[in-house]
Amino acid sequence: MKHRIIYQDGHSILHSLHPLVKLSWLIFCTVFVFVAPYLWMVLIFLLVIVFLIPIANLPITNIRGLRLVITTALLLAIIQIIFTDQGEVLFTFWKIDITKLGIENGVYIAARLISVVLASYLFVLTTRPNDLAYALIQTGIPYRYGFALVTAIRLVPVFEQEAIIVYEAQLARGVQYNRKNLNKIILLAKQFLLPMLVSALSKVDALAVSMEGRCFGKYPKRTFLREVRYKKVDLVGLGILIIFVLMTMATLLEGNS
Amino acid sequence: MISVSDFSYRFNGNEDYTLRNINIKIDNGDFLVITGPSGCGKSSFALAISGYLFNQFEGEFEGQINIDDMNISKANIYDIADKVGLVQQNPEAQFCTLTVIDEIAFGLENRCIPPDEIKRRVDWSLEIVGASHLIDREIASLSGGEKQKIAIAAMMASKPEVIIFDEPTSNLDPTATREIFEVISELRRKSNTTVIVIEHKTTFLASFQPRVVYMEKGSILQSYADTTIEPLQRDYIQQNRTSYYHYKSQDPIIKINNLHAGYDGKKVLHDINLNFFGGDFVSIMGDNGSGKSTLIRNIMGFVEPIQGIIEINNKPIKDSPFHERALTIGLVFQNPEHQLFANSVWDEAVFAPKNFDIFNDKVTEMTEDLLQKAGLKKYKNRHPYRLSYGEKRRLNLISVLTYTPNCLLLDEVLIGQDNKNASFLIELLLSTVKDGGVVLMVNHNPDISYQFANRLLFFEKGKVTIDAPIQEAFELLERNGNSNYLPTYYRPTQSIIQ
Repeated sequence: MKHRIIYQDGHSILHSLHPLVKLSWLIFCTVFVFVAPYLWMVLIFLLVIVFLIPIANLPITNIRGLRLVITTALLLAIIQIIFTDQGEVLFTFWKIDITKLGIENGVYIAARLISVVLASYLFVLTTRPNDLAYALIQTGIPYRYGFALVTAIRLVPVFEQEAIIVYEAQLARGVQYNRKNLNKIILLAKQFLLPMLVSALSKVDALAVSMEGRCFGKYPKRTFLREVRYKKVDLVGLGILIIFVLMTMATLLEGNS
Repeated sequence: MISVSDFSYRFNGNEDYTLRNINIKIDNGDFLVITGPSGCGKSSFALAISGYLFNQFEGEFEGQINIDDMNISKANIYDIADKVGLVQQNPEAQFCTLTVIDEIAFGLENRCIPPDEIKRRVDWSLEIVGASHLIDREIASLSGGEKQKIAIAAMMASKPEVIIFDEPTSNLDPTATREIFEVISELRRKSNTTVIVIEHKTTFLASFQPRVVYMEKGSILQSYADTTIEPLQRDYIQQNRTSYYHYKSQDPIIKINNLHAGYDGKKVLHDINLNFFGGDFVSIMGDNGSGKSTLIRNIMGFVEPIQGIIEINNKPIKDSPFHERALTIGLVFQNPEHQLFANSVWDEAVFAPKNFDIFNDKVTEMTEDLLQKAGLKKYKNRHPYRLSYGEKRRLNLISVLTYTPNCLLLDEVLIGQDNKNASFLIELLLSTVKDGGVVLMVNHNPDISYQFANRLLFFEKGKVTIDAPIQEAFELLERNGNSNYLPTYYRPTQSIIQ
């Protein structure tokens, strides 16, 4: 059975990093793999990310969707290799020129995609969404928006479960989902969405009562019992990040001049 | 002190008043239970006292509600919240955060209370509900009973003068129900909070000696001191039961052999072997998570068993197409709103026969008859969502009876139903049994089971520990110490007239 892409409890160094430090790293990774001027840089980066997986002690090979991403990446790489005809020809295979540039481009694309996906997985799997929301609020975004995020995170599994119930209740009453007629499909969508909408609205009512009943929105600011604090390891993480950012910028400037 | 004088309320869009001319005084430290049939207005009354009726809903009212010298209809919701806490029916719907500690701190943080004080109050309120060990847990990982304890602690943390429970146990099994009521009594012992409980299950509460108020059609009928529901007489029940059950089929309709099943790699059911015959009305009981719903979903074929064979009408379900099998099974889930799909009561009732392509004059005739019996015929053209909760429930059941399946699977359909409505639903089910069908009903109501079922399955940790005729089954339950699952009849009558 595959795991869903949600937070996995653990005690690794990645788990204990401050959510915002991790978020900054994720943003840096995403930008870096696209601006890095040399292929070896991206490859080393990918290697580091792969190396982090056992450190975080994650069942990453067992996560839903990973196979799809890797297949897509390899497919993109193969397309690049086949359709690039510029550059030094290494060998010809059944009338197709395999060029050095093609291989380079293919590896580039695959490495970028896999890096970004793995880095995002690492972030999502080691960060409690709750902590991220609280950290964002404590950094200064208005708490109303922060709690909108918390509510969304909280309701996703609830709606997921309800969707299954509605779907099964329909199957039991003879609804057939393999219709090809467009009108039928629209009708099916309506019959499915109506119960979901009604249940969502009643949840909103209950939640509003619950939030107001506990003085949500009484004051523009609020206190926090649990502060998401920066620890030493976060400062180190942030320090390394800054060095990396500077180095990347320096390399880029050098390449341009 | 709460004083309600000549209070009436009508929701916008409704013709009738939901609350009518209510007068009551509730003293500090009182323990009040408000009971009455579903739709009698007791939940609206809770919303009125806690102020939400005037803030969250549109409607018009007469009369006045005061808490001490605060006029609730005019007060700011935040000021009311400092005095009154409301614990709602479904714990799932009232959580604002993802972890236990954040949830309890939530109301205090919003009030800008300093962290040190919040910490003290979190510990205090967790201790009151007996859930100190849950402090580091995520809410999603808690059981239903634990969730409701956290919801109560979250309300207690702000130290309200009055705490209102709106059917706090309607989603819980009898074991958890007992625990929550014990928490409520503990809370009264440890603080002088005024407690108002809105509840169907008054027998559980009787031993705490509350003051009881009975509501019907929006009015308070009487205050009476004896909450004991008239226990059904054993003779009466047995006489009636024989008139339901005089038939048992030769071959089982549902045959389950060596079933092991579960979800997401987690095994829930272990080695289940059961035969259900035509004429069986089976009540399936047991704590939440013990495997009752998993059994239902496996019989329906929604999940594939890990191991074992299930046969329905002599056909292994693996070998029959879903559509064909569904025609012989009627399935109703807990929440009525998850299973209303059509635009009118009539269309809803004939929704399944049309899907199955068996709609004809006979079905029309039968549907008319069923709607008539359920008192829904006058709403034929009304949208199903405009029915009351109890009416929706009846419609749910009718809409599976219209294609005359010979197996009925019911997952907690009695939740939130008063005894009158529940009895009506069961009368409908009995017609299937009389016609030689089988009914499997997952439920938490021992009184109803005792009155109507002829066989009881008791689940514990994924195993069937009791499978016996109803009378014998309750005797076994009593012997095994499962006192929470016994019908009222088995308990000493708890008359609380002092």
